[in-house]
Amino acid sequence: MANLLNEDVKIQVREVFAQLKDPTQVLFFGQKNECEFCDDTRQLVEEVVELSEKLTLEVYDLDEDAGIAKKYNVDKAPGLVIAGRAEDQILDFGIRYAGIPSGHEFSSFIHDLVLVSGRDSGLSGKTRDFLNKLDKPVHLQVFVTPT
Amino acid sequence: MLAHQLALESPMVEAEMVEAMEFPELANRFRVSGVPQTTVNQGAGTVVGAVPEENLLAEIMRVVGNHKFA
Repeated sequence: MANLLNEDVKIQVREVFAQLKDPTQVLFFGQKNECEFCDDTRQLVEEVVELSEKLTLEVYDLDEDAGIAKKYNVDKAPGLVIAGRAEDQILDFGIRYAGIPSGHEFSSFIHDLVLVSGRDSGLSGKTRDFLNKLDKPVHLQVFVTPT
Repeated sequence: MLAHQLALESPMVEAEMVEAMEFPELANRFRVSGVPQTTVNQGAGTVVGAVPEENLLAEIMRVVGNHKFA
């Protein structure tokens, strides 16, 4: 299959990846049936993680690896989890994508990798104070389109 | 990505970016009309558009009923 990322894009992404700090793990969840964007998403993520030694990818199937999908609260394919990695441990921060991160979302995906690798949200002190005192689960779903 | 920054900061927050055209049933369920649109706790709250940190935070506060920080 032809590359999804051309050389110009790879150069730009490598420049952004100079900011990567700690090891970061992407978990991909595909599905065999009726998943129009699974193959492209997997290939896209494979091409991205190849651009830095700090990035690694694990590939799972939503059905065959149902236990792992449940552990990471993934219920859609293609599904992605961006997690930290420390030794053999996966640090799940609850950062996920449902659907292919292409178009405008490609840049969000790249910046999310940098964000997670830094392990620092960069949020304001006021927001951090609120979050530190948060005692109820909050589930956010951000609907986006590629264009 | 603000929602993901919140998730990174707090173990109580999880955030999923959903490609609306790939998951139209879910988008319809939450009446997504423009993007980005953020749903809080399965429709308990909604924020339309790319909003500043304090606006999303205010909606989350409203949903979790935690007014003492407002």
